[in-house]
Amino acid sequence: MDSFSSSPSMGSSSSSGVSTEALMDQIKTQLAQAYAQEFLETVGNKCFAKCVTKPGTSLSGSESSCISRCVDRYIEATGIIGRALFSSPR
Amino acid sequence: MDNSPELQRFIEQEKQKAMVSEMVGKLTNVCWDKCITGTPGSKFSSSETACLTNCAQRFLDMSMIIAKRFESMQ
Repeated sequence: MDSFSSSPSMGSSSSSGVSTEALMDQIKTQLAQAYAQEFLETVGNKCFAKCVTKPGTSLSGSESSCISRCVDRYIEATGIIGRALFSSPR
Repeated sequence: MDNSPELQRFIEQEKQKAMVSEMVGKLTNVCWDKCITGTPGSKFSSSETACLTNCAQRFLDMSMIIAKRFESMQ
């Protein structure tokens, strides 16, 4: 692995060579953050719609437990969709 | 910018992953609305699971029909 082959400056942050490996790590981290952020936003919207139908002065116990279940189910649904698309014969 | 081939390959891979993840995310969003009509329980019913699977696969079928339809318009 040529971990110290330098690449020219990226943007303004660094003009000294950045190792390819470091750059890839940085990109991976940022992508992971972006994926997580988008996922959280979607799950939040879906579960708010399902579980908090009439917002009161605080989240009730049943709303909270609905939200936990909803998050679990949304993650499960993502897995089901992924498998349906990429690993099952049609 | 002369990127190393290693970096190019990495970026191609991440692009592929991003496309897959976008598609799964979008279909989950759409199929969730179609298939999960009640409040989420502690387990999916078998009909909900089947609906999610069918929903994703039929969406793909539809995409292919639309693509063919467009081809035939050229």
